[in-house]
Amino acid sequence: MLTKKQKRNNWILTAVLIAASLFFLFPVIWMLANSFKPDAAITNDMNSFRAFVPPALNGNFFDNYIKILTDTSFVRYMLNTLFYAAVLIVLGVIVNGLAGYALAKIKFPFRERWLMIIMLLMIVPMETIITIHFLFIAKLGLLNTVTGYILPMIVNPFNIFLFRQVFVSLPDDVYEAAQLDHCRPLKYFFTMVLPMSKSVVATVSVFTFLNVWNDYLWPSLVFTSGDLLTAQIGLNAITSNDNTTMGQKLAVITMITIPVIIIYSLFSKQIVEGVVSTGSKEG
Amino acid sequence: MMRKKSQSLLGMAFFGPALVLLTVFLFLPMILTLIFSFTDFFALNPKLTHFVGLDNFFQIFKDEDFRRAFVNTVCFVLIIVPLQGLGSLGLALLINRVTHCKKYFKVAFFLPVVMSLAVVSTLWIQIYSPEGILNSVLGNFGISPQPFINSASQALPSIAIMSAWQGVGYQMIIFLGGLQGINPALYEAAEMDHATSWQKFKDITLPELKPLCIFVFITITIGAFRMLVQPMVMTGGGPSHSTYTMVYDIYETGTVNWEIGLASTMAIVFAVFVMILTVIQTIATRDKEEKHVDKKAEKK
Repeated sequence: MLTKKQKRNNWILTAVLIAASLFFLFPVIWMLANSFKPDAAITNDMNSFRAFVPPALNGNFFDNYIKILTDTSFVRYMLNTLFYAAVLIVLGVIVNGLAGYALAKIKFPFRERWLMIIMLLMIVPMETIITIHFLFIAKLGLLNTVTGYILPMIVNPFNIFLFRQVFVSLPDDVYEAAQLDHCRPLKYFFTMVLPMSKSVVATVSVFTFLNVWNDYLWPSLVFTSGDLLTAQIGLNAITSNDNTTMGQKLAVITMITIPVIIIYSLFSKQIVEGVVSTGSKEG
Repeated sequence: MMRKKSQSLLGMAFFGPALVLLTVFLFLPMILTLIFSFTDFFALNPKLTHFVGLDNFFQIFKDEDFRRAFVNTVCFVLIIVPLQGLGSLGLALLINRVTHCKKYFKVAFFLPVVMSLAVVSTLWIQIYSPEGILNSVLGNFGISPQPFINSASQALPSIAIMSAWQGVGYQMIIFLGGLQGINPALYEAAEMDHATSWQKFKDITLPELKPLCIFVFITITIGAFRMLVQPMVMTGGGPSHSTYTMVYDIYETGTVNWEIGLASTMAIVFAVFVMILTVIQTIATRDKEEKHVDKKAEKK
């Protein structure tokens, strides 16, 4: 049971933390409030408390947002990114999942050694080899193509290892029963193994999505034309355009964050589990 | 016998697609990076490539830009690691103690993590602008307008503070997980002995969190070493190279100037640093697990 003093201290601590959190979030609050204002109002409000208050709801309330959605390629960039993420999730789950399954359950030559190599690869920072990736993709004539962007990103030692750790604890007797039924290995993998491991498939998919969504260096190297840009690179193209007002810039960065907020709120359990168990986002 | 053979065929078939991609996009680039680091490979004129031995390694450390980038990266690490590490630990300790609005606090401090680095950088260009909101807020406290990212002396600390702001919620969640993992019996025993809050913190919380602290601080260090997006979006490495980082130099040398030989040498130096840190981290974390096992064994 809490004493009266402890209760009072608890309230004081809560109040202090609320104040701290509001101060901490002031850039976000300012961004949201001003994304609904024309530039004149933003400058006007800068020195008063109104800088953190959205304007009154009127006919022009969503002007900045409408302008961005209709006058720039923002929607196109968002759809591009969603498409790349979807392709990479499907290919990534298949390629890394099959490899993880082989390393966990199938006896093939040098299996333990391959596993060791995969674990060693996890410590190599991608920045080291990105120059060579760029050179390869350029030599293959795949610069500014979706294939060129996607190819180096499919395989991921981290995901292979994650799949392997989960598959290794799957029961063997299911596999033996499936073999008696003459179930083909590939069919068995897609109809039994993956559905039995929904949680790791979800974790890998979520981290792949976040990786694609947040990636900056690789897409900025591969893509040069406006049609193929990802949202993060497109953001740069939109905000560095002189015709984009400050309110519109704030509207873009607000909208670009919404899909990620949805993903985090839907999959917060998987993400927190992934964060706590591995301690690191991949990438 | 038949079965064994079909098993290894099946294994190679399942592992095959990943192996092909690993070879082309990981093994081969790693080997090439190592080989190119001893050559003067210039991608626009590959025929004139010579083996130059260790020349590149001497050259990059004589090169003013790379030295600057190296010093900047180290400075960035020295500012952000205490800021983000202690900040996240402090937040986790406070949030672990409050009983009201716990969920709100977790979400509030985690929110910037959700925003990508490019988004946060774009937002903070506005926050840090000379007539921006931060100068206006500081003005209310009587502080004169600061140049922030527009001055060579303030740009790097400004970016470090912004990066700590963006990442602090992530490590906070890790620490909160660690705090919840501490056996409550330890605190109950301490309360029987009338221990003060400070004693409980010093003798129970800190020692129990120590392995996690090492892990988190090294994670932040590795992340800071890899810093690139913030200066790319905000300052272009300036003003006067004050926010130029190692990865920025690798990127510019390799993909803008096409000097793959030099870029490879820089990449090797960079990779050695990051890999040493990762190995230390792995060993420190493994100790933690072994200790847990030891403790369980002792109890039995």
